Amino acid sequence: MSDEQTMLAEMAGALFASLGPKAGAGDWNAVAEVELAGLLVPEAQGGFGGSWEDAVMVLRLAGYHALALPVAEAVIAAHLSGRSSGRGTLASGAQGTLADDHFSGTLTGICYPEGADYVVAPAPQGGAMVLDIPDAGLSLSANVAGEPRAAATLDRVAAQAIPGDVIGLGALARTAQIAGALDAALALSVDYANQRQQFGRALGKFQAVQQSLATFACEAAAANCAAIGVAQAMARGSAPYEIAAAKLRANRAVGVGAALAHQVHGAIGFTQDYGLHPFTRRLWAWRSEFGNDAYWSAKLGPQIIARGADNFWADITALTD
Amino acid sequence: MQTFVPERLEWPQSAAALRATVREIVAEHGVTDPVARANCWSKPDPAFSRKLGAAGLLGMVWPRAFGGHERSAMERYVVLEELLAAGAPVGAHWIADRQTGTLILRYGHESEAERWVPGMARGEIYSCIGLSEPGAGSDLASVRTAARRDGDGWIIAGQKVWTTNAHHAHVMIALIRTDPASERNAGLSQFIIPMDAPGVTVRPIIDLTGGHDFNEVFFDEVRLPATALLGEEGNGWRQVTAELSLERSGPERYLSSMALLVELIRYAESHGDKALADLVARLAAETWTLRLMSASVATKIARGEDPALEATMVKDLGNAFEQAMPELVQAAVDVDPAGPEALGLVLGHLLQVSPSFSLRGGTREILKGIIARGLGLR
Repeated sequence: MSDEQTMLAEMAGALFASLGPKAGAGDWNAVAEVELAGLLVPEAQGGFGGSWEDAVMVLRLAGYHALALPVAEAVIAAHLSGRSSGRGTLASGAQGTLADDHFSGTLTGICYPEGADYVVAPAPQGGAMVLDIPDAGLSLSANVAGEPRAAATLDRVAAQAIPGDVIGLGALARTAQIAGALDAALALSVDYANQRQQFGRALGKFQAVQQSLATFACEAAAANCAAIGVAQAMARGSAPYEIAAAKLRANRAVGVGAALAHQVHGAIGFTQDYGLHPFTRRLWAWRSEFGNDAYWSAKLGPQIIARGADNFWADITALTD
Repeated sequence: MQTFVPERLEWPQSAAALRATVREIVAEHGVTDPVARANCWSKPDPAFSRKLGAAGLLGMVWPRAFGGHERSAMERYVVLEELLAAGAPVGAHWIADRQTGTLILRYGHESEAERWVPGMARGEIYSCIGLSEPGAGSDLASVRTAARRDGDGWIIAGQKVWTTNAHHAHVMIALIRTDPASERNAGLSQFIIPMDAPGVTVRPIIDLTGGHDFNEVFFDEVRLPATALLGEEGNGWRQVTAELSLERSGPERYLSSMALLVELIRYAESHGDKALADLVARLAAETWTLRLMSASVATKIARGEDPALEATMVKDLGNAFEQAMPELVQAAVDVDPAGPEALGLVLGHLLQVSPSFSLRGGTREILKGIIARGLGLR
């Protein structure tokens, strides 16, 4: 890590730790003050000019602290729109028509709508579009982790078509957050296993528990490597293969990791008071968001088969050579 | 907590050229039998090993003075992953190139290095590893094969077992007890044992497929010169632990079943359905991730670090992936594992041999114990 990255990680880590899963919409100012949303916006446009590796590092920390603020969405929305001011957010779905700089239809999966200045959504005909957050017609909801979500039905609202892949970059962000949340749930589980005594010794002394946590650690490692791998690939400009592979791999790690975290914790991990669920509930929610396994398999599988068996390995190595 | 810190991967500039060279050699040699392509690093083919040696693709990181080529560790990594992905028959030289030559260069007497290493780099001298014994499997510290001093030299007596390729090897590096009063991992040393030394007997152990990889190796008062002691007397355990990092970290720990994935894709080209495409995507995602993890470990080793914990995680994940694949393919595709279709033949072979993948090089249970200790449990 460069000195600059170390400073960024320390700043973001400390900030996210202080805000955590109990942060509310009013806490966004603390993030806005350090201008984190402009992480990927070039310096010439008033942003931080960071790399995708910087972004994955910061979004991993957001996951690590179960941060209840839309840093991931703001970073990706600012990158796609090129805007360095205001808080942007993402919507994961749009059905309708974009014509004459106006959108009519439905937006779904709008993340953290309250207080957002604009939203970037997939455009119906491909690419992306930027819209102002509507004042009315928002149907508010939440994902299973309690993170605010909304849908909106819109009739001829101003919308600007822009290039970009909202689902892909959203999946990249979720992969980084999953990597962080898995590491945090693993740390909680290891600490708990070392402290909790049963049969006269710590749970962590039992081989069965050790083996479960070792399996968990491997899955967390895989998710982290997938996230970093995508970040490095994004230096090329886009990385559709890697994003699909990384989200698929991270989604698998969610299943194993969240289940083992709860198994090791026993009943206490199932309570609202104990701090495991902010991680595991987010992991379960994020596994669906910006493409579940079926979505990314449908992108990746047919493409590999169409390229043919004899190109499979050569295509993988061509991604890095 | 972050147990696996991924490296920024710097693939060598020469990677594409190296891959092209390897692909050309493999194509020219002709590796058409799909079963031979599976788990290919246990399939010896001395003619192929000599071709690689002649092309400068063995002993790549060793000094020129010992027949090496002074290439970078990542250049060697590129060659390894290409050979494995192609299913090339690399079994004859694999252990010599991976660890024996490196160990002899690191710890061995110069005369031993001169005797063995250049031939290893030419693809003509092969080696085996003498670790397990009848009473020392996962519990490696219970080895009882003993060495006693005999003038300047040593006399070895005892037995090793599960010794892969002992019947093709010219030399073994063995872990042997040099202090008869010692217990556990103290008092152990490593020795270089020529397989043609008087008193060395190799007996085959036939595996459940009828194949012959394993052997028993007996040492009946085998006399060795002083130079046969590898490294420091009594330092064997530490040397073996470092050796296991080399042994556990390579791309062979996730690519042994690659031939099956390639055949699955070939089958899907003409039998496309959504379930097959989903399975291909899932296995490709695993392959992509494991490749980055494996290369990340290789990058750390290239810098002189010993990423033992990360290497162990990659082996455990890689073995789980290699072992899951046959069952997943069998569930998804209606093909006879007895053949004659290529997909079926590879499947049938891997169904039978893949259980060994989480035994060789350290059992799953031992690996998970190492990972647990790395997490701060125990």
